[in-house]
Amino acid sequence: MNQRGGWALIKNTWQSWIQHRGFFFLLAFGWMLPLLVYLFIWSAAAGDGTIAGLTQESLAGYYLILILTNQLTYATTNWTVGDNIRYGQISRWLLQPMSPIYHALSQEIAGKVVFMLFSIPITGLLALIIRPQLNLTWGQALIFLPSIALAWALRFFWGYWLALLAFWVTRADSLLALQDSLIFLLGGHLAPIALLPPGLQTLARLLPFRYMSAFPVEVLTGQLGVQETLIGLSIQLGWTVLAIVLYRWVWTRGIRRYEAVGG
Amino acid sequence: MSFPYKTLRRQDATQPEPIIQVSHLTKVYRVPERAPGLGASIRSLFKPQHSDVPAVTDISFTVEPGEIVGLIGPNGAGKTTTLKMLSGLLYPSSGEAQVAGYTPWKRQPDYLRRISMVMGNRSALNWDIPPLDSFRVLSQIYRVPPDQYRQTLDELIATLDMEALLKKPVRNLSLGERMKCELVAGLLYQPDIMFLDEPTLGLDVAMQRRLRTFLKAYNEQHTVTVILTSHYMADVTALCPRVMLIHHGQLIYDGALHALAARLAPFKLVRLQFSTPVENFDDFVAQWPAVEQLPVENGSRTLRVPRADVPLVTARLLESLPVADLSVEDPPIEAVIDQIYAEGTL
Repeated sequence: MNQRGGWALIKNTWQSWIQHRGFFFLLAFGWMLPLLVYLFIWSAAAGDGTIAGLTQESLAGYYLILILTNQLTYATTNWTVGDNIRYGQISRWLLQPMSPIYHALSQEIAGKVVFMLFSIPITGLLALIIRPQLNLTWGQALIFLPSIALAWALRFFWGYWLALLAFWVTRADSLLALQDSLIFLLGGHLAPIALLPPGLQTLARLLPFRYMSAFPVEVLTGQLGVQETLIGLSIQLGWTVLAIVLYRWVWTRGIRRYEAVGG
Repeated sequence: MSFPYKTLRRQDATQPEPIIQVSHLTKVYRVPERAPGLGASIRSLFKPQHSDVPAVTDISFTVEPGEIVGLIGPNGAGKTTTLKMLSGLLYPSSGEAQVAGYTPWKRQPDYLRRISMVMGNRSALNWDIPPLDSFRVLSQIYRVPPDQYRQTLDELIATLDMEALLKKPVRNLSLGERMKCELVAGLLYQPDIMFLDEPTLGLDVAMQRRLRTFLKAYNEQHTVTVILTSHYMADVTALCPRVMLIHHGQLIYDGALHALAARLAPFKLVRLQFSTPVENFDDFVAQWPAVEQLPVENGSRTLRVPRADVPLVTARLLESLPVADLSVEDPPIEAVIDQIYAEGTL
């Protein structure tokens, strides 16, 4: 571990990213749009009644929190890992007495700060207009914290081990696109999990994708009972541990194959 | 693991242990291969073809602490691959290496803190921010104590004369300016061993000379061990008393630079100027069948004389002809190297 170097790197990356804040604000806006579209579609569908027990106001609350959660857990850096391997950029990180994952982590943390500078004011403004219904309790908020931390870790490490397949195949990024599509479908973006057909609901509860985005939102908006919450947390933890194990495994093997191209 | 050199050196107690020991190092790349065209690219989807390309074959050598060794050879000879293995970037296909007691490709942090790899065509700096910020991060990553960091940085900035560059983003620097920053980035933590891959690539002659002077002085003051690759023979002649010549992945020469010239070019150049014109010079030269006359340049004549005949030939020239000026030179090293690159053998 090299905390001192890691911290310096975070500050440094942040300084360099804040120079391109316009780009990141646009990116954040782009991620927000589809979720806003589904917010309006489901709100319209619910009308004055409820769908699967969710009212118009609670659907609005769900999607507004999902917008923030999605941006907090989205691992943008994974998209650059493959290129860094393919074009030999990770060479300079491999030469440093610090694991290259620090570079990805520092970009993650720096990125979150930049995205939140944009997303928190915008969702706040939307909340004033749409007036969502949120029944927040301290208990839900308390469980939300570990579940969103795990959601981030799971989404980051799952994408990272997929991206590291670039050591073997040149375009591993397509797997990241697949991961995004599955999160869209089974991670509560297209519709809250409760609105999915029963077969897909079961699938969503078993596969890792719900635990990368929708699960913390369901916890915070009070959609889940105690038992569902505990089972969900255990499955989330299990997938996260597996993702980290897979990352370690793929990394130690991939690095032996690395050809440090260029130069 | 066996290091024949190590056992030899043990008998001599005054001799320091080699800091770099390489034995039978080999790297074979597996390269995907396909013929050009759409048909071939579709076929390669189903049945990818690979070929094994040996980049480095069975290389063994040792380097003593404080030495500067030039690694030379034509493009694609395996120089960079060798440096990449020694700096831990590449796993070798077979063979062993010990650098400062570590196996490079295990990439232990303690090892990486002792080495530096500076690549002329690859940047160690973040291009969006000024170099000073990058230096600070590097000093943290390498855990340089703040006092030592300031002192080293001041020293490097003064010797490289780069005060003015420190606050501009790296992308706005010229190639030469960036190279200075790369060197500082590689030296901030005072490594014991430096691998320099084409450090003067693309620099103008004046900048090349300044970097060379700097590297030489730095090596003398800090006794760092340096392995350097370069395509500019001027770098090698100025810095490296010892050269290793790699060709087709094999080490074909390891020794003093001047001995390489002597071994390859078994002749010297004798340059002559006469005080009065000499009419029968061609006939005079004809008495030595082994001596060859080169084209006349600016009124001075040049003879290619076998090394062994040089004393006799010069003596005869001086006593028989109106010689105003006579000099004996080694052929230019570029010409010698050119010959090996073309022929591929010694």
